[in-house]
Amino acid sequence: MKMWSSFKKELILASRGFYFYVELGFAIVILLVVLFAVPEDFSTTSTEYLFLDLPRQGQEAFKDVLLENDIDGKIEEVEIEAGGNIYTAQLMVSDEQEIYILDSEQAVRDLAYSERNLGAVVQLDEDNRLSYRYYLQGYESTRLKNLLSILFNESTLVLEERINNQEVKVLTAGFEPITDRENTIPPLVAFSGSLMGMFVMAAYIFLDKKEGVIEAYAVTPSSVWRYLLSKVFVLLLTTLVSGLIIVVPVMGFSINYGLLLLLLLATGFFSSALGLLIASFYDNMTKAFGVIYFLFFILMVPGIAYFIPGWDPFWVKIIPTYPMLQGFKEIILPKGDIIYPLLTSAGFLAGGLVVFALTNIRFKRTLRV
Amino acid sequence: MIKVEGLYHSYLKDGNYAVKDVNFEVGEGEIFGFLGPSGAGKSTTQGILTGLLQLQKGNVSVAGYDIKNISRRMFNKIGMSFEQSNVYSKMTARENLAFYARLFDVETRDPMELIEMVGLKGKENIKTGEFSKGMKHRLTFARSMINNPTMWFLDEPTTGLDPAIAATIKDIIKKRNKDGVTVFLTTHNMFIADELCHRVGFIVDGEIKLIDSPKNLKLQYGEKLVEVEFAEKGKIRKDCFSTIIKEDKDNLNRIIAEKEILTMHTKEATLEEIFIKVTGRELA
Repeated sequence: MKMWSSFKKELILASRGFYFYVELGFAIVILLVVLFAVPEDFSTTSTEYLFLDLPRQGQEAFKDVLLENDIDGKIEEVEIEAGGNIYTAQLMVSDEQEIYILDSEQAVRDLAYSERNLGAVVQLDEDNRLSYRYYLQGYESTRLKNLLSILFNESTLVLEERINNQEVKVLTAGFEPITDRENTIPPLVAFSGSLMGMFVMAAYIFLDKKEGVIEAYAVTPSSVWRYLLSKVFVLLLTTLVSGLIIVVPVMGFSINYGLLLLLLLATGFFSSALGLLIASFYDNMTKAFGVIYFLFFILMVPGIAYFIPGWDPFWVKIIPTYPMLQGFKEIILPKGDIIYPLLTSAGFLAGGLVVFALTNIRFKRTLRV
Repeated sequence: MIKVEGLYHSYLKDGNYAVKDVNFEVGEGEIFGFLGPSGAGKSTTQGILTGLLQLQKGNVSVAGYDIKNISRRMFNKIGMSFEQSNVYSKMTARENLAFYARLFDVETRDPMELIEMVGLKGKENIKTGEFSKGMKHRLTFARSMINNPTMWFLDEPTTGLDPAIAATIKDIIKKRNKDGVTVFLTTHNMFIADELCHRVGFIVDGEIKLIDSPKNLKLQYGEKLVEVEFAEKGKIRKDCFSTIIKEDKDNLNRIIAEKEILTMHTKEATLEEIFIKVTGRELA
């Protein structure tokens, strides 16, 4: 009865407040961005500028090779405006590249500089073999530079042989990829749904501290933990709603919503308990902002690792948002692992309970008259 | 109803005590005034008595409950009106009281009855964020009665209220006390303490200097005074003279003989004057 009464009161306060609508509004904005600004699959097309410093016959032969991969098999005559100049070029477009063949090496240099793309001059060396001079941007990795050095200087037969000798093991069969748009869902749900709870919870507590109502609650027979838990329940409700606002329109009904709700609840509980704990140390949002900002920054680092699969150091894996993101990803994968989200949920629930217990002790000790 | 023995409290736990060696008792049905200037230790003592501050050293029992191992059930018997109004600004007056009523395990009062009692009838459906400071204070006072407490803590209950409303609040306190409610009144307003309290305790720098009834204090420390307003060198002056101290008597006689007396009347010592005399401190 007391719990229900507190929850009802918190729901009334939230519905008449600002943060409740901020969280839901934020979810709607994210959804609109995902639906209308994020493409189904990101384009991986690169642009290159070439000058063929070759005899006419060599130029034609080079273009013929490029045309083999051209989408429509035709060369398009185009004009490129860059840096106040207009350059004429022949454009060939494949699935992976847009190649502009220019009239001079100077044009290649100018466009590589102004358009921040790779430029190259193809010519014949003293032995009548093709040689390449690249115009890079300066930030390319040593690996890429090495690759460019050997790519056209080693015999292609040698390279082919080496590639063919690479041992490739298939670890998982029946893998079904998700689209790039779907791939953005886990971090968005984690950060807007679950982690926003941490910030909003702290904001709710600071509002109550400002009004002094915690003290008024503390002189009733109702326990402080009931007061705290009623706030957590409201946060869980908004986490579920904002999470579903983002997920349902993108994923439809193709995923396991039972698992999604469980993980949303568990991660929401953990982050709102964290928000409560932070709020127990400070009087207002201004004083707590530094800690919240720092924590937010740390918790967002696994989001970087999520989008760069090759960067996955151990220390990132121990940040709570790492399993959070992987858990959400497993849920949206067509043949995702069920055990991982279940274990992650259990972990966040257990962690949330520990943080909540600490928070309860803190609030009992820090009430002031 | 309240028993305090050897109470000490240090906020930083460093030996700098906000209250030190505080001892007093409040009997059932008594109105006890806890008087002192700001920072004297009134709120700290009240905070410990109401469980808002942890008991560090000493023995304290309130309404039969030991504060060392505080039981939530104790709060069914306790009412607390805070000096700073603390109601939910996004909820109406009625919603505020109705919510708090549901937190108690005992029979509670009708929110509307309390709202009417403190003169807020007609404002019950207005969000308290739109209330004036005085209206919020009255609602906080009304809330403290929601569970029919037998032990009532009142912290500056008439602060910021106009005289008519303050009189209503005082009447409510008197009536509740007549019904058997024990009152622990914390204030620096000596007039309300004089009017309401059976006994008062003076606290300064965390120490209780004296406890007695206002009547006894006036008998013990009060002097018979004469307040004289007279003209001197074209200016009007006002002075107070004891009718017991010889020097004062001589001065009074001299002024009557030599000056033009404008007004003159006897005056009883106020609690505030006694407080200053006993503690050597102003109340402000």
